[in-house]
Amino acid sequence: MANLEDLERPHPVPDGATPVYDNGRLRVTRTLHPPTLSLTGEIDQWNARSVTRGLQAALEGEGDVHLDLSGVAFCDVDGIRALVTTAEGLSEGRRVVIHGLPAQLKKVIRLVGWDNHPALVIPA
Amino acid sequence: MSGYLPLPPCSAPGFRHEALIYHGEGDFLARTASFIREGLAAGEPTLVVVSAAKIDRLQACLGDQAGGVRFLDMAEVGANPARIIPAWRHFVDEHREGTRRFRGIGEPISAARGAAELVECQRHESLLNAAFADGPEWWLLCPYDTETLPPEVVEEARRSHPLVALGTAHEHSATYHPAPGAGDRPLPDPTGEWMEVAFRQGPLAALRNFVSTQAVELGASAARAADLVQAMNEVAGNSLRHGGGEGVLRMWQEAGSVICEIRDGGHITDPLVDRRQPASDAHAPRGLWLANQLCDLVQVRSLPTTGTVVRLHVRLG
Repeated sequence: MANLEDLERPHPVPDGATPVYDNGRLRVTRTLHPPTLSLTGEIDQWNARSVTRGLQAALEGEGDVHLDLSGVAFCDVDGIRALVTTAEGLSEGRRVVIHGLPAQLKKVIRLVGWDNHPALVIPA
Repeated sequence: MSGYLPLPPCSAPGFRHEALIYHGEGDFLARTASFIREGLAAGEPTLVVVSAAKIDRLQACLGDQAGGVRFLDMAEVGANPARIIPAWRHFVDEHREGTRRFRGIGEPISAARGAAELVECQRHESLLNAAFADGPEWWLLCPYDTETLPPEVVEEARRSHPLVALGTAHEHSATYHPAPGAGDRPLPDPTGEWMEVAFRQGPLAALRNFVSTQAVELGASAARAADLVQAMNEVAGNSLRHGGGEGVLRMWQEAGSVICEIRDGGHITDPLVDRRQPASDAHAPRGLWLANQLCDLVQVRSLPTTGTVVRLHVRLG
């Protein structure tokens, strides 16, 4: 199990990480050590549903869900909504912890009022 | 100057939206200070949203009493006029449970506003009536300076305000029109060349690339281009979802701004949709709200007959 400090930093997806979803424009991969889902590419209304499904499928287990978004080049409101509904779908006490949040996306999350969501942990 | 005369007897209690027609700064100070003092004497919470220069003068004029008043700089709150109603909404929500009435002064319109900004300020004034129609009892005074504003702007204030304060008199405006955006006119055509592209159901990645490239070519910084792309994506996304599944996008430069316009066949029924703070419910709409937070100006016009047009403005430099 990785320690907390490691989880606070974005981490490169090792080759051999398990792909959860890949449509050419967006790739979701899963690594077990540290337990993280990494998103690379663009998320918009066209693929947000697939993102939600991809994340749901990978949410079994316990504890917080760590998402590395450092490879997300664009994410619209539907994409953020996919993250929020994922967080809201977690069992009591579990949260989605975001790492490597790009500046533009961080700004947008704040402007639409999701920066204080109790089930979503945004880096400071 | 004595306090204000009481409201004309046929007015119902509730939101009192009144244009204050004044002439020059001395008149402004005397009459707004009187309005503020009257509120303070009655223990009414008061918020004043005017220019920074006027805040300074008013504070000097009010002396120790200024401490009882909250001031906000209109240049910060209302650079994009669509952000003013949310600010008033915040103030109203803060005081709606209280036992006292409350009051405000908001001066969104000055001679410094550009043409498109002025039009949106006028739309904002009109939308205020609908925004607070069913709210608690409060009094919003909107000053208009006859010394610096053209007469037609003051005339428009009479159409957007049910009451007008002239001298010490309060009148019902004979030309008041309560329909939201009643004064809206068709948006003017671009003055120069524009680029146009049609889009339909499918991923918006190509459209995002187009807007990003054009915005930079028209002079926007990379950061502002990213804001424009983000806002455009939400509006074009609405076209695909609610606007008939297709739309036409145009871009041009005008009056120091890059403008991105999206047209579709849909109809937006809620004229306040772009200035309602998103509800906590994850599914509540956020696209047009976001556009207003990212852009310097957003112009929304929607009719069941002609469809919807949204113009996103991002200032250069």
